[in-house]
Amino acid sequence: MNLNFSPVHFIAVPLFAAFLLPLLGRISQKLVTLVPGIVLLYLSAVALTLFPQAYNEPIVEIIAGWRPPFGITLVFGPLAAFLVTMITLIGFVVWIYSYRFIIRAPLEKYYMLFMLLIAGSTGIILTGDIFNLFVFLEITAIAAYSLTAFLRDHNGAEAAFKYLLIGSFASAFVLLAIIILYANVGTLNMADIAVRMGDVPAKIKLTIMILFIVGLGIEAELFPLNGWAPDAYSQAPSPIGAVFAGIVVKAAVYALMRVLFTLFDLPTSSHFLVVMGTITLLIAEMSAMRQQQIKRMLAFSSIGQMGLVLVAFGLGTREGIAAALFLMFSHAIIKTLLFFSAGYLVFFSGFKNISDLEGVGREKPWTGFFFSLGALAIIGLPPFSGFWGKFYLLISAANASHIFLIVLILFSAVIEAVYYLRVVGRLYFKKLHDIEIRRTPFTGLLAMGILAIVTITIGVYPDFIYELVLPAADELLDKAAYLQYAMMGQ
Amino acid sequence: MEQLLNIPAILAIAFAGSILVFVTHLVLPRLRTAVVLLLTLVPAYLVWQLPVDSPMVYFSLGGFDLSWGTNPYSRLFSLLIAGIGVLSTIYSLAFMKNKARLGFFYLAFLATIAAMYGIVFSQDLLSLFFFWEIMTWSSFLLVIYYRFENQQAGIRYFVFSAVGAYALLTAIVYLYSFTGDLSLAATFRVIPQLSTTQLSWITVLFLLGFGVKSALMPMHVWAPDAYRSAPSPFTALFSGVLSKMGVFGMGLVLFKFMGGLEPGHIIREVLAWMGGITALLGTFYAVFQTDAKKLLAYSSIAQLGYIIVGLAIGTPMSVMAAIFLALMHGIFKSMLFMGVGSVFHQTGSLDLNELTGLIRRMPLSFVTVLMGIITVAGVPPLGGFVGKWLLYESLITSNHYFLVIVLFTSSTAAFLYLYRLIFSIFLGQEEREFDHIKEVSWVMWVPMLILAGMTLVTGILPGIFFGPIAEAMQYLGFPQIDWQMSVLFNPWGNQVDMLSVITSIATVFLLGLAFITWKNFRTTRYVTTKDIHTSGEMPTENENLTYAIDFYRPFERAAAPIFKYKVTRMYASFAENAEHLFDLLRHVYTGNAQTYALYVVIFLVILIVFSGWIFGIQI
Amino acid sequence: MIYYITSIALILIGMYAVLVKKNLVKMIIGLSLVDGGLHLLFIAIGYVDDATAPIFSKEGLSAAEMVDPIPQALVLTAIVIGLAVTAVALAIIIRLYDHHKTLNVNKIRELKW
Repeated sequence: MNLNFSPVHFIAVPLFAAFLLPLLGRISQKLVTLVPGIVLLYLSAVALTLFPQAYNEPIVEIIAGWRPPFGITLVFGPLAAFLVTMITLIGFVVWIYSYRFIIRAPLEKYYMLFMLLIAGSTGIILTGDIFNLFVFLEITAIAAYSLTAFLRDHNGAEAAFKYLLIGSFASAFVLLAIIILYANVGTLNMADIAVRMGDVPAKIKLTIMILFIVGLGIEAELFPLNGWAPDAYSQAPSPIGAVFAGIVVKAAVYALMRVLFTLFDLPTSSHFLVVMGTITLLIAEMSAMRQQQIKRMLAFSSIGQMGLVLVAFGLGTREGIAAALFLMFSHAIIKTLLFFSAGYLVFFSGFKNISDLEGVGREKPWTGFFFSLGALAIIGLPPFSGFWGKFYLLISAANASHIFLIVLILFSAVIEAVYYLRVVGRLYFKKLHDIEIRRTPFTGLLAMGILAIVTITIGVYPDFIYELVLPAADELLDKAAYLQYAMMGQ
Repeated sequence: MEQLLNIPAILAIAFAGSILVFVTHLVLPRLRTAVVLLLTLVPAYLVWQLPVDSPMVYFSLGGFDLSWGTNPYSRLFSLLIAGIGVLSTIYSLAFMKNKARLGFFYLAFLATIAAMYGIVFSQDLLSLFFFWEIMTWSSFLLVIYYRFENQQAGIRYFVFSAVGAYALLTAIVYLYSFTGDLSLAATFRVIPQLSTTQLSWITVLFLLGFGVKSALMPMHVWAPDAYRSAPSPFTALFSGVLSKMGVFGMGLVLFKFMGGLEPGHIIREVLAWMGGITALLGTFYAVFQTDAKKLLAYSSIAQLGYIIVGLAIGTPMSVMAAIFLALMHGIFKSMLFMGVGSVFHQTGSLDLNELTGLIRRMPLSFVTVLMGIITVAGVPPLGGFVGKWLLYESLITSNHYFLVIVLFTSSTAAFLYLYRLIFSIFLGQEEREFDHIKEVSWVMWVPMLILAGMTLVTGILPGIFFGPIAEAMQYLGFPQIDWQMSVLFNPWGNQVDMLSVITSIATVFLLGLAFITWKNFRTTRYVTTKDIHTSGEMPTENENLTYAIDFYRPFERAAAPIFKYKVTRMYASFAENAEHLFDLLRHVYTGNAQTYALYVVIFLVILIVFSGWIFGIQI
Repeated sequence: MIYYITSIALILIGMYAVLVKKNLVKMIIGLSLVDGGLHLLFIAIGYVDDATAPIFSKEGLSAAEMVDPIPQALVLTAIVIGLAVTAVALAIIIRLYDHHKTLNVNKIRELKW
């Protein structure tokens, strides 16, 4: 195996960079800002290089020479390749944005935690070992708690505490589930567990599954486990809000789905997912309707979108899962765009309240334009990528003859339209109060521009993503094949 | 080869054009006018020379097989879009001069036109919906173009459109779950195999979706304010063409999809009655408006009511009447909005109580509006007459006598608001404050007069529309229909030769005019409005001699009880209550960390306790 | 058996503290208790009565005579993670106290709805 390009790099390089950054901070602040960008660029390059390979034949990487089922493996199949590539690319864009957005010290702490988030999220997706998954989940979570409290002048600490409390519950439940699992099957390799799952008594299996659902559901923002989410999203710095919506949650959802699909037989849980997803969606959209703060509104919208993703996964069909992955991708792009633009809008007006954003769009045409574009895209209007995600979901819902579900999803879309367009209207149609006008830095606009172009490109030509998403969906559904290669034929 | 590329080329040019204009405005504002003109004329020309049955373009997108193509039916509507699109764009060049954010305006304007081309050329449901939604948001952007006050109107428009579009989407995906193919052709094949209930649901959902755009009551609530708020050049397009997309869709649904719904089917009857009621109430509301554009907006709603009645009845003659009226409405309503828009452009006012006596200041606008209202009223010799005549005849032959009465009432009542429109604005006392008003520039009046000319031509030679309409109806599944250039047939064998009717009317009219002119020419002298003697008193400068204010107060008093029950208010209170409910709901997020932890534990306990029920027993 | 009972008791006590106690520090202590209970449970699962540590300390020691090493390794990891979380939590609590001048969880509710 070529040492230069291996899936291990996705975890090792950012982790190494994270430890290096505080040291670099002593040498030069400039270096601290640049290194994460180089790391993420490198990772994107690795991801894109390995991408075709993963789609042809999944790469299984053995850590420390122990073959499965004993050692820890990294499994880089189509699904993992898709999500990891998405994460590294979005990570890179977030870095571009952060370059001029995070300018106040402590820079090295910010970038260190950011690198840890990337390492943890990619780790969750790559690992083939259930305890390893727990570890990466915790790395991600701890970095996320700290980043939530990063801005000292806000209520960050309060949000971080809530996040930490609920997050600790999550980790406790996941750990408990792993303990019970280990007591019953005596192995930690996920593929191996899946093979031996048949011998486990039904009751215990169910208990394990419930613990996983609750534990990972907290990170995946399932209602009613998502109390932490709006606070954390709204208090974290804007690029981190984007990272939460675009990267962290996606990794958590992946973990939940990997566990549910590979370790357990799906059909039993699928109706549960559809119902919970719908409830999550509806409650989140309704809560978003009257939010006063723009970032909190975005947070609720984000939760709602995750509800959609869960519904799509819950349908359990090939198209359903493909729709879910498409939704994840398009939501990652669009919500990142929204958080980016909202970040500067808030930055300009000096307030987080929606009513204080009046007229900012006139003064900041480009930032306002990107926000409006993101709003149109997330509502699910063509020709933006959001439309296709919703359309695939609806098609698969119709094929599973869930007509009522379609009605509920579309109902929530109407609510979404109302609250987003209200903000868009406010941006443009009132006079600005006397505030100092600052320029959006070029890097910020560049980051938003990239995302906007991506969402339009995918919206006009969805095949790009749709063709990548289908094999990934197959991988999740085709348990036998996964077991085969993840065990390396043993 | 070039034939094959045509439709994609048109759509590509049209959409790229909208972006190009935006960019041009940013980079080289001076070239904007030229670019706008070029990018509306080129697609319009390409549409014009597109053959009626151009070969279909097949391609695959996002895992679905899509196709674009033309047929006589879509050609009819594409020409309407092209015609009104070009004229309103030209009109807008002068109207929007020196306005802010023009790049944004033309981006949305051209995107709307492009999306409408897309809708009519779509031969599958996905691209239809795709373009439909683009049309919705681009027109939404234009509705909120002016000011913050238009926000409410804009959001109301968008929400209604979204509800309609999502009804459409539900129907589309529901159909897809049967067909597995989105193309119209496959859909037409599968439809007969569906059960009656399924078919009815799909029909109702489709009609709901298309009905919203054509402002069918009770889904019309968005229309008056949205028409009012949009800039006039766009209102012309909006009311004239965009609302016809709903008609276009309804035609497809009622005749291509639902061949199973024979005339007299309950859905058809209900739809016809909704159309009738829309026509009647729309007219009544129009009578009491004091804002010229709002008046026209309600008139527009009423006119679409007629069209929908015609479509719903579904006999060959009624459909012919409906499509004819649709085209006519496209022409005369955009022309009226342009005329009123010109007045607004010159005076800055749309208030019927304020405007007065502009006839000598803006004669060309006056002529336009005059021709417009004659057409709306359905008085010969202009085109509106033909459509209405056909519609009444078809209603009578299909035994819908009561509907005839309803429509006739509405049609008669329409005189009230039409008269008010022209009287308040152009006739009556000439005010000092309007002395400086001049006619609009030729860029604006040329499109208006072209449209006015069209109404005259279609009135005399309705056949120029009958030909394409007959072909379109053959596509919709009707037998060959006889028509002649200027002759209206009716089932009793009578023929009404429009040419002779017009000739005689014109002769009488011209003779009368000549007589009056000749007789009075010598004694005529110009006087100003105040140059009169009333019982020896001279009227003072600010005395009001005309009665444009509270024009229809007696009617208003009589109709007051009806107006107490407004659908608008119903929707508003529904929305308000829903929002309150949502507001209550979000209080589950109490902000207390412990509560959230408690939720987690309770959720876990519930899952474990009810696990058997929630997950099914087997695992 | 006693290990299982003890560990489950620890977990429940910890849960109680998190859900009922109003003091932030006590809640964090509860979290640590839950963690400790879980770790104990994990160790207990790998424990074999009368077996030795999983190190080849004597000649001819068979695998059956040793306790399961994997839970021990994992628990070590989990303890480290728990420590990190507790450290972050305490740091956040300090910040919260600076900000709100209270440690009562009911009074720290600026972000809601």
